[in-house]
Amino acid sequence: MQTFFGLVSVLIVFVWLGGKQVFPLQPICDLRVLDHFVREARDSVVIMRGSRGGCGAMKSYFVPLTSVDFAFWEHIDVQELAVEVQTGLSLLVQALSTAMKAVSNSRLANALDNNISNIHSLSQILHSLDLQHARSTVLPDDSAPASTQTQEVSSLPELLQVQSSFLRGKVRLLLSAAPACQRQNS
Amino acid sequence: MTKMRSNRLKIVFMLCLAFVTTGGQHFESKVAQLLQDETEHIKCFVEGKDLTCFWEEEEERNHIHDQYTFTYSYEKKNKMACAVSSLYLLASNKTILFCKLPKTPFFTTLDVQVLRDGRMLYTRSLNAENVLFLDPPRNLTVMSSGKEGQLNVSWLPPLLKYMDDSMIYEVRYAVDGSNMGKVEVIKVSTRLVLLGLQSNTRYKVWVRVKPDGVAYKGYWSAWTEPVFGVTPPSDVDPLIVLLVIFIGLILCLLSLTVILSHHKFLLKKLWPDIPTPEHKFPGLFTVYKGDFKEWMSHNNGSMWGRSVPVYTEELPSPLEVLSEVSLTSHGTSQREERKPVEEDEEKESERSDSGLTDRWRDPPHAHWLMEQLRALQENPESRSQSSLLQSHDTYVTLNQGDNEQQVDDVFEETLPLQTLFTTAGTSSLGTSHSDLGSLQQSSGSGRLSSQSSFEYPNHTWPPKGPGYAYMAVADSGVSMDYSPMSSSRISCTGPIW
Repeated sequence: MQTFFGLVSVLIVFVWLGGKQVFPLQPICDLRVLDHFVREARDSVVIMRGSRGGCGAMKSYFVPLTSVDFAFWEHIDVQELAVEVQTGLSLLVQALSTAMKAVSNSRLANALDNNISNIHSLSQILHSLDLQHARSTVLPDDSAPASTQTQEVSSLPELLQVQSSFLRGKVRLLLSAAPACQRQNS
Repeated sequence: MTKMRSNRLKIVFMLCLAFVTTGGQHFESKVAQLLQDETEHIKCFVEGKDLTCFWEEEEERNHIHDQYTFTYSYEKKNKMACAVSSLYLLASNKTILFCKLPKTPFFTTLDVQVLRDGRMLYTRSLNAENVLFLDPPRNLTVMSSGKEGQLNVSWLPPLLKYMDDSMIYEVRYAVDGSNMGKVEVIKVSTRLVLLGLQSNTRYKVWVRVKPDGVAYKGYWSAWTEPVFGVTPPSDVDPLIVLLVIFIGLILCLLSLTVILSHHKFLLKKLWPDIPTPEHKFPGLFTVYKGDFKEWMSHNNGSMWGRSVPVYTEELPSPLEVLSEVSLTSHGTSQREERKPVEEDEEKESERSDSGLTDRWRDPPHAHWLMEQLRALQENPESRSQSSLLQSHDTYVTLNQGDNEQQVDDVFEETLPLQTLFTTAGTSSLGTSHSDLGSLQQSSGSGRLSSQSSFEYPNHTWPPKGPGYAYMAVADSGVSMDYSPMSSSRISCTGPIW
């Protein structure tokens, strides 16, 4: 009887610690994970080009800006960059979800679904970097884009191109420049 | 002070010039390479963080800068213009026009256009992160790792931020002076250990770099300047070498000792003497120089007296002794003419009159026998009284007895033998002949009868006592070698060969 109560107390302690998150998450700084997501985003473009009706219905999608100016980025704040990346990932999730519903090709739909899962994983990775303002927030479907850092595309090919560029550019640079990853590399 | 300032300024200017020329060399080489490889009209590449786009000038025009316009736009923004410059390439004898975009946007689609006199000439859409043209790696070093057949190669990546983990390298190495080289590809890492190299050999190593194609894409950079490295010599333990040498010396000494102690035996085995028959034929090679006929003719006489072992294929046939012969009466008349040796022999024969001797006496010499023959021939009385044995034939007929009847009996007995063994020669009693001469038995004491071929006349022989006629016959198969029978020594108790 006493042993049983002892085990129960130990379990309670562990659950409490887990809830309090006393043990911080280890930062995921391995860029090979991101490269894996980048390749799968590229695969969606290939599938789209090879499938009938791949373009889908012409629809407007609000997507983030993807351009990166290295001269500009050397002087930018990492925190601000983190916010920008998180916002852009959210926009991409919305756009991909909308496009997946409009696509008739099952293979392409599956590829788009895979891309959405990858973006969710990226959000968790950014969360592991302990960026103060980088929280995993997914904007609701009907919410309007508040940031001006958006652009409008009118087709699925353009959407997929934006996704690939965003992952390879801003998201990658953020992972490379994150302080947690800099501490690991040094 | 002014001189020092001017000197410093000169140094700074020279350094800047060197930097610019170096960069210019890189730029010109990149332009030259893309001029050959790139198929687009507008050829673009990123060097550092700046995008450069150029195109080839086909016709020579004056004031070319005023006629061409280069514009670009991205993310559906307004078009922006870029300043056009010209460059003459000495190597290819061509002129190109180029533009460097300020603040190049990456990870977005760029739309570039070339206008000539307001009309669109070329247009292209590209992403700047896909046309990276990197500089060659820096600080290439090749060092020996200390292990056999290995070299440690290390280098530094080109100066580019945020791209170190997106590089792929190619290492080329070859033996110095050889055109055959091998290539190794390595990702991200800037170190490589070359394996399987020849020992104690000088190698040349080159390296080049390219984006790995995931986040960034681009062209292969130029090769670095070759760096040389020498592989370490083969790993041989000096202790093992010494031991091997020591054991080898010991084995050599042992083999020398064995060889020297048994050199005669070994020499005989390895280089045996060629057998020569010279010792059997004395003087054949030294005196007569191999002329066997001549040697035979000179050594003919001496050969008869010797007991030369003559090999015959014929088996010896036994000589049957039928009777004893006593030759005492006539033999006494001839004794005076004989030599003292003969007297001794005669005495011996007299002593043995009592019975048959069981042994052969030594045959007389040929000289003595010849004399005996002459004596017998000179004395016709003895010839008439005695029966001479003619030894023309091969065989001797011996008979014991002293009367004609015995002679006749002997004749009768020996006639068949005589008829069997007749040869060409002098003819006397019977048909027997001899080859070499004839001897007549001096004493008529008895007759000879057996397989011998001696002829004997039909004379009565005075009985003398038992005596034995013998002769030594050596039949070589080639020539008949036998001594004539002696009248005083006649004994035959054994086979005549």
